[in-house]
Amino acid sequence: MKPGLKSEANRIEPLLRVTGLSKQYVQRRTFSRKELTVNAFQDVDLALFRGKTLALVGESGAGKSSLARCIALLERPTSGKIELDGEDLLTLDRKALFPMRRRIQMIFQDPASALNPGLSACEIIAEPLAIQREGTKLQRRARALQLMEQVGLDAKCERRLPFEFSGGQRQRLAIARALALRPSVLILDEALSKLDALNQALILELLAELQVSHSLAYLHISHDLRLVSQFADEVAVMYEGRIVERKKTDDLFASPEHSYTKELLATVHSVESILLERSA
Amino acid sequence: MTHRQKLAGSLVLLTSVQILILFAGFFAPYNFAVQDRQRPFAPPTTLHFMDLRGNVHIRPFVYDLEDSGKSILVSQSDSEHCYPILFFVRGMPYKIAGVFTSEVHLFGVEAPGHIFLMGSDAYGRDQFSRFLFGGQISMLAGLIAAILSLSIGIIVGGIAGYYGGWVDELLMRGGELFLALPWLYLLFAVRAALPLHISQWEVFLLLVSVMGLIGWARPARLIRGVVLSARHRNFVVAARGFGASDLYLLRRHVLPETYGVLLTQMTLLIPQYVLAEVTLTFLGLGVGEPLPSWGSLLSSLQQYYVVSSYWWMFLPALLLIPLFLVFYTAADALQELHKSVTL
Repeated sequence: MKPGLKSEANRIEPLLRVTGLSKQYVQRRTFSRKELTVNAFQDVDLALFRGKTLALVGESGAGKSSLARCIALLERPTSGKIELDGEDLLTLDRKALFPMRRRIQMIFQDPASALNPGLSACEIIAEPLAIQREGTKLQRRARALQLMEQVGLDAKCERRLPFEFSGGQRQRLAIARALALRPSVLILDEALSKLDALNQALILELLAELQVSHSLAYLHISHDLRLVSQFADEVAVMYEGRIVERKKTDDLFASPEHSYTKELLATVHSVESILLERSA
Repeated sequence: MTHRQKLAGSLVLLTSVQILILFAGFFAPYNFAVQDRQRPFAPPTTLHFMDLRGNVHIRPFVYDLEDSGKSILVSQSDSEHCYPILFFVRGMPYKIAGVFTSEVHLFGVEAPGHIFLMGSDAYGRDQFSRFLFGGQISMLAGLIAAILSLSIGIIVGGIAGYYGGWVDELLMRGGELFLALPWLYLLFAVRAALPLHISQWEVFLLLVSVMGLIGWARPARLIRGVVLSARHRNFVVAARGFGASDLYLLRRHVLPETYGVLLTQMTLLIPQYVLAEVTLTFLGLGVGEPLPSWGSLLSSLQQYYVVSSYWWMFLPALLLIPLFLVFYTAADALQELHKSVTL
């Protein structure tokens, strides 16, 4: 562990702590005894704090999305621990996990595929409440409408189907759904990458507001270092399935250690210099 | 023509055929079982508008039939006796959907006259009436067998596609076994194992259940494919993340994806099973006399003298061709529409 982090970990206990998490995919071919194993990620250690954002950057295929799905309890990791408030979630059985699921929610990259095209906006937002058997149908609808307002959608659009919304609005719909269960951890898996620059800025602003009002812990996964560094407290760099560097955002920009991080920063700088040259 | 228009057109046609069949008693001038031994193999009755004296009638009329001497009945067109066609006439009582009794027929002619729009069969029964009544049994058999097949298909295909692994392997190999089954001989074997005299309803049920139980494998495979791709959709993964049970996921998110395929399969399977019923009844495995079905209407074509002398006995078969084409058009349009929705 890096010295800078240790002091913070001592100050406050992390909300979510991931230790030694690994995921292996095993593929068996027909008519062959050979097993093909692929390591999605190995020995990942992460800590998320209330009201703080951890950005996870890395190139495509580095294992970011698999990690996100494992932490969101959508897939089972091969080994390791996911502790939420000190309780290891991976040792729980299905029944015991059921109430814990509401605490970790995930936003997908493509909102179009994450929303059932046949359900109305209100039904989509109320779905997690219905699954968790919270409130009556009427109460759930009222909560869904309230959430729509909260994420900046007009509550009059409750009957609309996902395709009737724009890309940015769809992502707001997905955020409203994720917030329905009042989670404490929100995992954003490339949640901005399918949006245009203006919508990226708007959604980022919304997320920042929600973080303060709900004291949410964010795990923001992206391949775009520049975008996530805008509001990340900490950045973890993932390279070939391992976390190679983890630092406060400013420290990372000031003194990158790993060669891949340096490369990543260099590309950000070169893009910036190109943009600067153009505007000049 | 767009697919939507094609679908609308074929659905209108199919609905009108269904209405004709459902209210066969009203549209048919005669009862399906009433015989007229004096008039076997009468040719289709011609409708006339002009009588011998050259007077034009607005209401069409028919002449009665007489023996030409060569054991073929011909229209007595030199006769003074003509029978005008009457609408909404009282005739033999019938039941609609087995409940309402009525005796009003859409059209008919007065007593000694006869109207055989599609000719009469060996017992002098009106082929047109028998065709309409026969549709009741044939279409019902097709519908029930198709529903049976699809119900098994959606259960087996849904489970195989959703759970995957060895469950999938087991169910799909089982389905292939059913595809490889020589079902015609199986049906003969099942019929042979049963007592010789069983009631019409038992025969009907046997026919329908064997057809339905054999045909589930193909729809099951298609549904499995749709389920297989649907269960990895992000909204299904997301719902699982909220803690949804398998049953909830299947009911709410996965199975609705298969409805397009189900509908298309339904429109494809119904004519297929109607044709199977026709084939089986032709071979003597279906419901027997005097109940008409489209298969039993055609079974008289097994005799050579019928084939060679009485061309109108082919009419039921000829009428089935456009009907099946409409079904396939509907299925085609449905499939195209479904494709354009999902893309």
